[in-house]
Amino acid sequence: MGILDKNLSLRNRNKILVGVWEDEDALIHAAEVLVHKGINIHDIYTPYPVHGLDRIIGVKRSRLARVAFLCGTTGLILMISMIYYMYVVDWPINVGNKPVRFTPSWIPVMFEGTVLCTAFGMGFFFFWRNRLLHGVKNDLLDDRQTDDRMIVAIETTESMNQSEVIEMMKSNGAVETREYVNGVQTVI
Amino acid sequence: MIHDSLIRERLVTGDKTASDVTRDISRPILNQPTSAWKIGFTLSVVFLAIFVVSLFYTLWTGIGVWNINKSVMWGWDITNFVFWVGIGHAGTLISAVLLLFRQKWRMSINRSAEAMTIFAVVCAAMFPVFHMGRVWVGYWALPLPNAFGSLWVNFNSPLLWDVFAISTYFSVSLLFWYIGLIPDIATIRDKVKTKTSKFWYGLFSMGWTGSTRSWARYELVSLILAGLSTPLVLSVHTIVSTDFATSVIPGWHTTIFPPYFVAGAIFSGFGMVATLLIVARKVMNYENYITIGHLEAMSKIIMVTGSIVGIAYITEFFIAWYSGVEYEQYAFTNRMFGPYWWAYWSMMSCNLLAPQVFWMKWARTTPWFIFTMSIVVNVGMWFERFVIIVTSLHRDYLPSSWVMYSGSLTEIGLFLGTFGIFFTCFFLFAKFLPVINMAEVKSILRNRE
Repeated sequence: MGILDKNLSLRNRNKILVGVWEDEDALIHAAEVLVHKGINIHDIYTPYPVHGLDRIIGVKRSRLARVAFLCGTTGLILMISMIYYMYVVDWPINVGNKPVRFTPSWIPVMFEGTVLCTAFGMGFFFFWRNRLLHGVKNDLLDDRQTDDRMIVAIETTESMNQSEVIEMMKSNGAVETREYVNGVQTVI
Repeated sequence: MIHDSLIRERLVTGDKTASDVTRDISRPILNQPTSAWKIGFTLSVVFLAIFVVSLFYTLWTGIGVWNINKSVMWGWDITNFVFWVGIGHAGTLISAVLLLFRQKWRMSINRSAEAMTIFAVVCAAMFPVFHMGRVWVGYWALPLPNAFGSLWVNFNSPLLWDVFAISTYFSVSLLFWYIGLIPDIATIRDKVKTKTSKFWYGLFSMGWTGSTRSWARYELVSLILAGLSTPLVLSVHTIVSTDFATSVIPGWHTTIFPPYFVAGAIFSGFGMVATLLIVARKVMNYENYITIGHLEAMSKIIMVTGSIVGIAYITEFFIAWYSGVEYEQYAFTNRMFGPYWWAYWSMMSCNLLAPQVFWMKWARTTPWFIFTMSIVVNVGMWFERFVIIVTSLHRDYLPSSWVMYSGSLTEIGLFLGTFGIFFTCFFLFAKFLPVINMAEVKSILRNRE
């Protein structure tokens, strides 16, 4: 499996049914109803994080925390190796004839290096996984999805009764419904 | 079941809807700059020019243009460094620690506080970098293989820890700030009309669409970054304090320094946040977002941290007396009644006594008064660093080495000039980026329990 989440792009997809909501509670309820009826919601676009939506539409829990841990461990090992090489192997400094070995004075640098590697390692994978890159063309279904509207996108399948899905969206609070084919939207 | 809270006061007043939030917060970005902005920006650029001139003079002539001398080898410059680093602590504290504690009131103020952090750290970095004298070899502070033999940096030195701490703090804060900005930059991208604006906001929003998948990861990353930044904030000022505490200078080598410096940093940071936000909410009409409730919460933190700092001052005195060490006792008596008594008593009255007025509800809820107090706090915290540095250094063990110190015109120019850097950056930020986190504020419009 690649790191980039391919679900985030809307290109090369079947026809997408688009529902527009304006109220958070109605949206959560509608998403639950749709999923309950066995309809596979491709994604929901919201201007702010709506808690619980990811679980309703079946997004798996992100593994970025594990990535962060791995990056942190790498950072710690890197820092210990760096200090050990410089301070013990390459050029030991004689301080009061004390043995040259690990001392607590290494800890601040080790800690800072670990935090730096964790934050930037995780940040890097966050951008990559989320398809966030300078110059990426954004697949917006609505100009106001970053403002105040919440958009539900349902990718059609051959077995899907499209008019029934649209009816369900309308009866559960969708203020507008559209279909999206190859970047062109028509209100239905 | 989710329902609206009946007892908790609303965090955002004025019955705002999500589109109102977008409209209000993006107004300064979408419209022409106001005359208040123009005046403020011009003034900041004037101060920035003072910085450039002072710095040029310092570099052209040498560090001798500062009044630092034998025994007072750290003067205004390191005072200013610690002052600015301290201010730089509130931003990450507000966004990280308050996020971990689920304090939702942070959402209206975290963006500008984080911006303040970044600009303050930039100002802070100027001082140790140029205090090195030969700034063009500043990279010697990094552990790089070099051409002068196998000589490496000293990992036992707190000054090296500082290099790592400050640079990590700056980069991680910048990353945290930028990740938080992406959804809001996307909002602006979808609002701006001109081609140039669309290009730039499009470039920096990196194709953000607000997908549920992205939001889930965004929230997880914010949480982990908050968890990382919390010990980071504490470590940075702890390390700054060890610059002093690991020495054998009476007045400096005290074990209380790390917690005392961290509390002082939070205190001064909140002082500066209050200074900026009280002006911003008035000028930009954000009274519904940065409410009296926010100001009251900040005042309480200022009072608590001010009192912690006050207890630290008193503890230092007690320990100096209790230790029975003559030099230590003299250093502290000299602080109080020596030639720098005025600096000491300014510090005491600004940091310990003045914030006690916040026990009164009137004081905590009156913007102009909090603004005045925030200035008092900033002045007090500058004096704290001045007292720690100058009074401890100016009377060495040998009376023949006793000297007096006062900042030269260039040193004063550099200090005033950093306000130029700070405010120029802040005004540009207020013009081109949303100063309030729109996405997060939209999620707290309803008063949920």
